[in-house]
Amino acid sequence: MKDIMRVKCLLSSDVETLINQQIKKEAHSSAIYLSMASWCNRNGYDFSSDYFFAQAEEERQHQLKFFKYVLDMGGNAVSPEITNVKGEYNSFREVFEEALEQEISVTQSIKNIAARCHKEQDYVTIEFLNWFFREQREEEYKARRALELFDVIGEEGTGRWQIDKHVGQISYSSEA
Amino acid sequence: MQNLTVQSSIDFVEVFSTKAGAIYQSDSENCWYIDFAGKLARFDYRNILKLKKAVYHIDIEDLLLNNTKAPDLEILFICACDHCYVLSLLEIIALKELLQGTFVMLELNHIIYDRLHRIII
Repeated sequence: MKDIMRVKCLLSSDVETLINQQIKKEAHSSAIYLSMASWCNRNGYDFSSDYFFAQAEEERQHQLKFFKYVLDMGGNAVSPEITNVKGEYNSFREVFEEALEQEISVTQSIKNIAARCHKEQDYVTIEFLNWFFREQREEEYKARRALELFDVIGEEGTGRWQIDKHVGQISYSSEA
Repeated sequence: MQNLTVQSSIDFVEVFSTKAGAIYQSDSENCWYIDFAGKLARFDYRNILKLKKAVYHIDIEDLLLNNTKAPDLEILFICACDHCYVLSLLEIIALKELLQGTFVMLELNHIIYDRLHRIII
């Protein structure tokens, strides 16, 4: 009996489901960043707003990368429905705390896919995921650095204005 | 009568069968034939996955527990597929069992291929 499923699709149904969940997660992440950009803009934090606009675009690109990968492998990529996007934040600091939390949860969920791939010996997907692990290193670094500005500069006086100005300058350049 | 049709075609391989029906694979046509609810229907790769999704998504527990007077009938319509099923609750359970068994067998076939045939070649 021929293995028709394998000929048609390189991904196992479990990995396909996990990647589709990841597509949804990236889309959700992008929507959250957009919401953060809106909040920052409304409250006068121009540089942070731009920073989050860029982040939203980046998450969208991640989503598309996963999406195209599933299709390239012969799977079914599902365009996700996004709900439950928070619109209000209690403080400037809270926005960045949640941004870091968001990145940590994305890293965790990609690790989860990789664990499944190792179990199935799906080295093709693992190789694909490696790009994301490098990307997450940068994302978490930037989110952590932004949050650290609150401790380094302090929020008193013109502190928040200073923090906002510095958020736009955070960049990651690692040769490792 | 169903059996006659099946036996006349030579390259059918039975993937899985229960008392309620059977699923055969045709290697030459790259498709599956589902013998269920009084008919033999042809499903290609995309359609059998859509059927699987449709059947797995039916909330059997909810159908069993709800007290509405509506009959326990589900219409399974698969987009871009020639066949449609109108099934009672018992038939849904039987079809689900048939599909679950089939996908386990296909998975097993895949493992055998991966571990034996592809390595030896």
